[in-house]
Amino acid sequence: MAPMARAATTSDVFNAIAEPQRREILVLLRTGERPVTDLARELGMTQPGASKHLRVLREVGLVRDRKAGKQRLYGLDARGLRPIHEWTGGFERFWNESFDRLDAYVQDLKQATQKE
Amino acid sequence: MSATGRGTPAPSAMSDKQIVICRLIDAPRELVFEAFTEVRHLSRWWGPEGFTTTTQSFEFRVGRAWDFVMHGPDGTDYTEWITWTEIVPPERIALLHGESRDDPNAFESTLTFEPAGAATRIEMRTVFPTKELRDEAVEKYHAIEGGQQTLSNLSAYVTEIVQKRAEG
Repeated sequence: MAPMARAATTSDVFNAIAEPQRREILVLLRTGERPVTDLARELGMTQPGASKHLRVLREVGLVRDRKAGKQRLYGLDARGLRPIHEWTGGFERFWNESFDRLDAYVQDLKQATQKE
Repeated sequence: MSATGRGTPAPSAMSDKQIVICRLIDAPRELVFEAFTEVRHLSRWWGPEGFTTTTQSFEFRVGRAWDFVMHGPDGTDYTEWITWTEIVPPERIALLHGESRDDPNAFESTLTFEPAGAATRIEMRTVFPTKELRDEAVEKYHAIEGGQQTLSNLSAYVTEIVQKRAEG
């Protein structure tokens, strides 16, 4: 991993989900809200460890929390995935892939022109 | 081989209302430009892998249009209507991209072709009238690409990232 990744972790959703345990947390939260104790147990990590990951995920907008009685529940906020969404799909990818094909096609054209 | 290599597009910029996509193509500018000017060329590369097009009409002149249907790999059809608003060979093409002749949500893209040594740098700058229309287009193209995936369909993205990170 790039040396700067650590510093950027808290500000960038891509870096936030580069961490395997944080991705596991997101996958667990897909089914609904959970308290940190629950997540820590399920992932076999300490509660402070899980809390640290949750804080990073919350800072990039992937996770939100709310108080429910005595405990705090963490839930997924899919809106935080928008940058990833746009990167993996959407307009930009459509065009990048079209330009891949354009590139290949123009190479064919170039060869055809050279033969003439 | 393209100088940037396949799958490693040049850095692109995004803002609230516009999307900029850049690409270096290892071919002279005239040739790259030509690939945009005729339907026999366009039909060979328009859209991601697996997409095809059926053209109803095509005239590469300012004020005229390319009226076509794009077929996705999953069988979904998308009607497309592109009107050329500026043509400056071999430097620039501006076009209005919509779904029909008078689509109120059509948006304008400007393609610029710049020589970069023996290669050509393409920049496609798309400006949406509003942030909402930009988001809508991103959503629409995401749906086109992913076969009706939506933002809430999380697992696909997370899985994809896991794979990308594992590969990278």
